[in-house]
Amino acid sequence: MRFFALICPCLWFCSVASAAELRFGLSGDPKTFDPLHVLDDNSEVVRYLTAGVLVRVNRVTDKVEPELAESYKLSPDGRAITFKLRPNLKFSDGTPLNASDVARTLNTALDPKQASPKGDTFRTDQGVPVAKVNSPLEITIRYPAPKPDLERLFDALSIIPVKAEKIPSSAGPFFVSEYRPGESIRLTRNPYYFQKPALDSIRLDIQPNKDIELTRFLRGELHFINKLDPESFDRVAKEKPAAARNLGASLDSDLLWFNQAPSSSVPEWKHKWFTSTAFRHAISESIHRDDIARLVFRGHAHPAAGPVSPANKFWFNAQLKPLPYDAAAASKALASEGFKLTGGVLKDRDGHPVEFSLITNAGNRPREAMAAVIQDDLKKIGIRVNIVTLEMGSLIERIARTAQYEACLLSFTSVEINPTEQMNVWLSSGAQHAWWPLQKTPGTQWEARIDKLQMSMASEPSQALRKKAFDEFQQLVVEQEPIIYLVNQDHLSAISPALKGTQPVAAPPQILWNVGQLRLE
Amino acid sequence: MNNALEFRISASYGKTEVLHSVAGTIAPGEIVALAGLSGSGKSTLALALLRLLHYRGGSVTGSITVEGRELTGLSESAMRSVRGKLIGYVPQSPGTALNERLKVRTLLEETWSAHAEGAGSFGALLESVQLPGDQVFLNKRAGELSTGQGQRLLIAFGIMHKPAVLLADEPTSALDVITQAAVLKLFAELNQKNGTAMLFISHDLLSVASISHRVDILHEGKIVESGPPGKIFSAPEHPFTRSLVDAMPRRMD
Amino acid sequence: MRRKLASAILILVALCALFAPAIAPFDYDRQFRESPHAAAGGQFLMGTDNLGRDRFSRLVYATRISIVLAPAAAAVSVLLALMLSRFSSLTTLCLSLPWIFLFIIMRALLPLDTGPFASILLTFALMGVAGWAWPARIFNASIRQIRQSGWLLQARASGMPSRRIALIHVWPHLRAIAVAQFRVLVPAYILSEASLGLIGLGVAEPLPSWGNLLAELQRPQAVSANPWILAPLGLLMLVMICLEEVSA
Repeated sequence: MRFFALICPCLWFCSVASAAELRFGLSGDPKTFDPLHVLDDNSEVVRYLTAGVLVRVNRVTDKVEPELAESYKLSPDGRAITFKLRPNLKFSDGTPLNASDVARTLNTALDPKQASPKGDTFRTDQGVPVAKVNSPLEITIRYPAPKPDLERLFDALSIIPVKAEKIPSSAGPFFVSEYRPGESIRLTRNPYYFQKPALDSIRLDIQPNKDIELTRFLRGELHFINKLDPESFDRVAKEKPAAARNLGASLDSDLLWFNQAPSSSVPEWKHKWFTSTAFRHAISESIHRDDIARLVFRGHAHPAAGPVSPANKFWFNAQLKPLPYDAAAASKALASEGFKLTGGVLKDRDGHPVEFSLITNAGNRPREAMAAVIQDDLKKIGIRVNIVTLEMGSLIERIARTAQYEACLLSFTSVEINPTEQMNVWLSSGAQHAWWPLQKTPGTQWEARIDKLQMSMASEPSQALRKKAFDEFQQLVVEQEPIIYLVNQDHLSAISPALKGTQPVAAPPQILWNVGQLRLE
Repeated sequence: MNNALEFRISASYGKTEVLHSVAGTIAPGEIVALAGLSGSGKSTLALALLRLLHYRGGSVTGSITVEGRELTGLSESAMRSVRGKLIGYVPQSPGTALNERLKVRTLLEETWSAHAEGAGSFGALLESVQLPGDQVFLNKRAGELSTGQGQRLLIAFGIMHKPAVLLADEPTSALDVITQAAVLKLFAELNQKNGTAMLFISHDLLSVASISHRVDILHEGKIVESGPPGKIFSAPEHPFTRSLVDAMPRRMD
Repeated sequence: MRRKLASAILILVALCALFAPAIAPFDYDRQFRESPHAAAGGQFLMGTDNLGRDRFSRLVYATRISIVLAPAAAAVSVLLALMLSRFSSLTTLCLSLPWIFLFIIMRALLPLDTGPFASILLTFALMGVAGWAWPARIFNASIRQIRQSGWLLQARASGMPSRRIALIHVWPHLRAIAVAQFRVLVPAYILSEASLGLIGLGVAEPLPSWGNLLAELQRPQAVSANPWILAPLGLLMLVMICLEEVSA
């Protein structure tokens, strides 16, 4: 009873808000309001909504659109970009904003003492860019070497004011007008912004409990939930059909891989299986991806075709199709490799029964269910899988340091559409080169080829050539299957019909990306 | 003939000596009352004589002989065959001295087999302490007995093996006046019937004096006066004895 | 009468567990992939889970595991407690140990090819061994009380041998505490097994246990879809009530 007594006044308070106030839940307090030091998702939401950026990438068309800059021009050598700012720009506290503020922001981000994660995205192997203020309304940023997609970097660089405050004033459409730790954050429309957003204010309720968030949404107290699990999504679909919005495949992939590191504790005969492309392919073919999507994710996932989610419309290699389930073909392929099925147990040429342990992180029920499906699928071709759930810390210890595991079930999450984002996974020398990290020289020819393609994707100025390299890379991964891609989960959202102007996308910040166009009815 | 019990002991808890060379002699068939205020070391003396004081954190020096047999220096297992066999013990307050979870039968049998082989028969014993010997009673748990019954049962345990000497530590203090009288009478009868020597430890001089042949007065860990009850009452010598006698209720004669 | 009924229920549950293969209509890990989330009735007495596994069969097999192992672990704890309770500083030390981290380390050291059954056996064994300090503390307090009791002194004064005293006089007191502690530990261990699953100890897929079946209750929405998800909880409560009744 006490619980209700505490919560009821709060709900009442929430429900009396002005008409043009957007309300949604945040899973926790933002760790920082400093746009250059954002690392966590909650801080990123606040940063995005308050960000004054020079340009914005349209998440639907993937075109770069003007914001604080009314136009930009890339130099022919691909090393420099010149922005022309809109006149009379101001921060939310009324102080004027001009080209020197842009230069100062960039230099602060690049200052090694700041250790800003934003600065890292601007650094290259060849060095850092130099900003030159041509006039109060014009600035040129020059790199020592060509930098592909240079203009896109500025989508994430919020221009910061001179005055460093815990909650700084904003150059974007909204500014933080009130912060009650553990309770809520209120954003108010920036009166000096060059455009007037339809929303007057935004209230972010700090709500760590997903079930309460869902209940509040269903009662109409919140306007959207950015990410729902399949079970909650089905509940929304049942109770408020118009609000359930499946945004299609997300950028994330669920996957598994075998430990191929030669220095690992894997017995020599198992190492032989794991390094065999035919073996990996047979495993891949024996896993019923449709069943995983249908049973584990209630149909809200799609069989994965390769290392890139189809949600990444531009970079995804459209030639690739998910590998269909075909246990018979897998068995045949294994037989031709010398594997024999005797008494329901598959044995290799030397008579070793084929069995391996599959590690995954404990406490993730969908992942455990996925493991159970895989276990059952592989049982059908005579392979025994021993599922071991580990606490995240010891899992990472095994895959990244000691290499004491046989196979691992995990997922890769992507926040950007950028193809070089996962370079640390794909370079054979990379620390996160999952199946065999930190190789001195590429262990196989195809890994050498992947290294080469990755490098060219990072430096090739021509987008068409980069796309070609990226397509070949994807093709190679699917052929060799060092990582067996299973499904791409759908991004599931709930959006109140009262919220208009949404063009949600599967990549962050999904519903909020076009906050300027959002309005309430 | 040897005395039933002879002792001269000092006892201490840690560095604090509570009995200072207390000596006593009890002839066969004699009843001696040891009187003193609470805190004078009465209960300590009983435990010391049984050599059980170390269970309460105390230690004893001196000499204890029962029927001429020296007890100090005996091993724990040898002491075990003395306790309950040569020296009977009747503790105070049956409420705590009886394990309330056990049946009367079990307690009797266990006390019996501590020193005897085979199955004991307890009819006569229970009759002698005026307790019923029927199955209903034997099947009762100790926790279900009245205080008087409990005290009688404890006396039965004490005399079961016909000890040379019976130590009774405030055996009547938990009882009402009428039961007290009956129990004291019982002790006197047992003494006459079996010739058991008894050491009565009590703060209640008046009640024990009625059945005692001799009274020792214990004060601050020392025996300050000793003599037949008549002399103690009529001509107490030690100031403490005098105050003890003065404090007694006067009979109306 | 109530006692008889309670014993009858316990025997019935134990028989179900013993003859699980005969009673369960399907294997606990058989996936009817065309019938996920099936409602109760028809082919599936209590419906199916997300992978189309028969809930009733899983419950029967889970009972087999939990009803044997949790009491066994509780018994181990109580026995250890009885043996070790005299070392009160050891008890205090054990109570202050960060067990969860020790468990995590333990799991990390365990070979990965430990089968699901060996893993759960080990989990309960660990709980049994780790859990002794709680009952030990209670034993300790009670033994201290017994040491000072008049009846112990009386028994000694009567010349009873120490072993006989321990068996006849002291044990009935400790037994009562042991039974009470056992009753507290059994459900605690059944539930702990579920939470140990979060650090990778406990029951691995596809083996069912009361613990991992109860973990499904974390989603209240699921219960309204198939109330039989509550069955393991109901069974656990029933067994605990019956145990209480029988051992009272």
